[in-house]
Amino acid sequence: MTVQTEFARRSPIRTMERHIHDGLGKGQIGVLASPKGVGKTACLVQIATDKLFQDKPVIHVSYASRVDYIITWYEDVFREIAGALRTEAPLEVHDDVVKNRVIMNFKQEGTRTEQVLKSLEAMITMGRFAADSVIVDGYDFSLSSPADLAKFREFAGRLGLEIWFSASLRGEGSLYDASGAPLLLQDFLASIDVLITLHAEPDHVRLRVVKDRNHPAAGDLPLKLDPKTLLIA
Amino acid sequence: MTAKNATMRNIGISAHIDSGKTTLTERILFYCKKIHRIHEVKGKDGVGATMDHMELERERGITITSAATNVGWAGHSINIIDTPGHVDFTIEVERALRVLDGAVLVLCSVGGVQSQTITVDRQLKRYDVPRIAFINKCDRVGANPVKVRDQLVEKLGHNAVLMQIPIGLEDRHAGVVDLVAMKALYFDGAEGEVVRVEDIPDELAAEAKARRDELVDAVSMFSDRLLEAALESRVTDDLLHEAIRKGTLARKLTPVFMGSAYKNKGIQPLLDGVVRYLPGPADVANEAHDTAQDGAKVALRTDDDAPTVALAFKLEDGPYGQLTYVRIYQGVLEKGLEIVNTRSGQKVKVGRLVRMHADSMEDIVRAGAGDIVALFGIDCASGDTFAAPGLSLAMTSIYVPEPVVSLAIAAVDKKDQDRVAKALNRFTKEDPTFRSHVDPESHETIIQGMGELHLDVYVERMKREYKAEVRTGMPQVAYRETIGQRVAFDYTHKKQTGGAGQYGRVIGALEPLPGGAFEFVNDVKGGRIPREFIPACQKGFQAVLRKGELTGFPVVGVKVVLSDGAYHEVDSSDMAFQAAAQGAFREVYRKAKPYILEPIMKVSVEGPSEFAGNVFATINQRRGIIVSSVEDGLFARVDAEVPLSEMFGYATTLRSLTQGKAEFTMEFLKYGRVPSAKAEELAAEYQEKRRRDAK
Repeated sequence: MTVQTEFARRSPIRTMERHIHDGLGKGQIGVLASPKGVGKTACLVQIATDKLFQDKPVIHVSYASRVDYIITWYEDVFREIAGALRTEAPLEVHDDVVKNRVIMNFKQEGTRTEQVLKSLEAMITMGRFAADSVIVDGYDFSLSSPADLAKFREFAGRLGLEIWFSASLRGEGSLYDASGAPLLLQDFLASIDVLITLHAEPDHVRLRVVKDRNHPAAGDLPLKLDPKTLLIA
Repeated sequence: MTAKNATMRNIGISAHIDSGKTTLTERILFYCKKIHRIHEVKGKDGVGATMDHMELERERGITITSAATNVGWAGHSINIIDTPGHVDFTIEVERALRVLDGAVLVLCSVGGVQSQTITVDRQLKRYDVPRIAFINKCDRVGANPVKVRDQLVEKLGHNAVLMQIPIGLEDRHAGVVDLVAMKALYFDGAEGEVVRVEDIPDELAAEAKARRDELVDAVSMFSDRLLEAALESRVTDDLLHEAIRKGTLARKLTPVFMGSAYKNKGIQPLLDGVVRYLPGPADVANEAHDTAQDGAKVALRTDDDAPTVALAFKLEDGPYGQLTYVRIYQGVLEKGLEIVNTRSGQKVKVGRLVRMHADSMEDIVRAGAGDIVALFGIDCASGDTFAAPGLSLAMTSIYVPEPVVSLAIAAVDKKDQDRVAKALNRFTKEDPTFRSHVDPESHETIIQGMGELHLDVYVERMKREYKAEVRTGMPQVAYRETIGQRVAFDYTHKKQTGGAGQYGRVIGALEPLPGGAFEFVNDVKGGRIPREFIPACQKGFQAVLRKGELTGFPVVGVKVVLSDGAYHEVDSSDMAFQAAAQGAFREVYRKAKPYILEPIMKVSVEGPSEFAGNVFATINQRRGIIVSSVEDGLFARVDAEVPLSEMFGYATTLRSLTQGKAEFTMEFLKYGRVPSAKAEELAAEYQEKRRRDAK
């Protein structure tokens, strides 16, 4: 597991965690928000990969996207990391990492939150998949309600999970309020513990902590996404 | 496109078992006037449906192997390829799908989209096959074709559009309303052979009008001319046909027909649909692999004047010898033409050329591009490509997966032994994933294949077709061994006790070769081992790799680097160096951290989402890894990677857990490391077996 520990130690995710008071934590909900195409999925996949390298199982919940497309994301992130670490046994590390990941795909329309949570719980209990975190990508907050997100949060608390969502911001004009929180998420803030927004700059992507539970938010992080690989550096 | 292949159709009829596929095929043959009487599938007259020529299929009422039958309809030549309904016979399914250009998806008006419908539809999708749907059994209690159309949309994601509405359902099912011509069609005569065209009954006029509007709406996006005409209310039948064909060929539309094959209703309009909407051979793009160019893809032309390229997709034992079904992709086949089997390089002359109708045949002298015919007297394996001399094209990839399960068989009666041998010879030719050999130690006949069911079917076929009763052992997983680390060797083989001595010394290393089988590198400098003995060294290593020490299964993933050695002027020989190589390997193998590999299968379970949890549990209990689960409303699919050794009997478990509502498919994925507890168990079993064998 030396390669894995090495990665975990050097991971830029550590920096992110320091700026949000030791990471997300069990029973809590984190949200990454930005307009389409800025790099939310890439960030989520890196957060997940970081967990996987620490031998912590992750369930990747995806709405609307195809499963093979998500697997490709993981493969790309893994290749970048393996390249950077110059590991000698990428295949073995890869297999170790993959067995800790499950992808669950749902259609948001026509699937109630209860059904999604029921399936997640079945995976954890009946499938004996001891998930540490859940990644939720492609969830459409405009089709959701604060009550739905509250159910996710209750679920996270009951099963001891941390859950990261991505939120896609759409529309013309300003997408954010004065505090920097996305307008789309205003009604959901009660159930969101950590909120980070992504902003496309000319040569990189900036990450900004907008909400950090009851702490004052850290604002811009000393981290950015490489626009080519969309990896956090 | 030549005028000839524009009037040609190569179609498959795909369905969930029990949707009435065989009955439908039978009716199609009948109406095309090729047969004179309709037989029922489980024939009361003991004859059985014409397409089902295998006894086994006759008894089960299902169709397992593919055969091609030619019929004529409305000036078109239609080759019907009988596609296997079962999902496990991968090679059979893939080959059948390979040669057809369009398909009729048969659904039961009561059962609707069933699990196997989903599977066959997915296969058709994978091969980009345009489809039309036929909702059968409209005479059954509970028939609801509109609901089935909705399921096509919701469960299969088809843009399914009703081409007809039923005139009466269940026992009052009398015919259909054609929404293009806006006429009622009834099927008269003793066997429905007379199509009577009438005005639409008053009580259906409103529904017919509404459904027709739906149809025009849905298809006008495929034709600007139709769209314009629709806006000006001057839609013609031809404009509609043209747009429907366009949408269907682009796989963006599924025209839905209906009726009851059993009650002889709705078949003729379906045949009209086949020739109107499904593609001819030239409408479909086909590619071959150029084996001289590292398998680069080459586009083929459906043109009689191009050099010949044909695929042998099915072999059959006929009363006159081996019959080889071929699809001609490019050029022609004619009597006396010289063609080359691009796999074996063997040149052959086309002898007898026939067009098949289930059990009868018609001799022909020539067949053009796009056609499906059969050849006599040609020795080849299924999947071989025949091409004009000078072409190095292959229609199928050369890669054939290694079998993962084996089974010992023995003829119950000594008299049956010849028949068993004959059957095995036939099956191994037909199916490259099925193999057989005699184990040199136990002298048992071992058959190998891609899964339990795969082998079961061949055992059944031996009984039915060859009257050979066999006893079978327990299915056995094909394990492998490999090494975990580099290890050096230095071994001298020396025997000098009277007579000619033996001497050979080899020095080098074994290295892991992940994903590979065997590699031999000769690094010997300065003739320390004379060049003539190097092949013997390689041979020695290869021989010893055939049987690993842990389990007796072959050792793979080993690179042997031979760097040094020594020889003796008189006592060195091929034999001595072979022995030295084997000795070297045996001496150091354990130090190379060997471990056992097992076949890991890609398993896909489909069923109602309420059972998803149970499915997760079964995968977990089987040492499986769940890769993904996809839930779409009430339906769920779970994809997992599970060791084959844990999958025996899974069908039964799954059936009882889900009340038969879930189904699974599996195929070989890769070899993976056996966990240590299991590895110890396997090693102990092998030692025990060796002790037994030694006694």
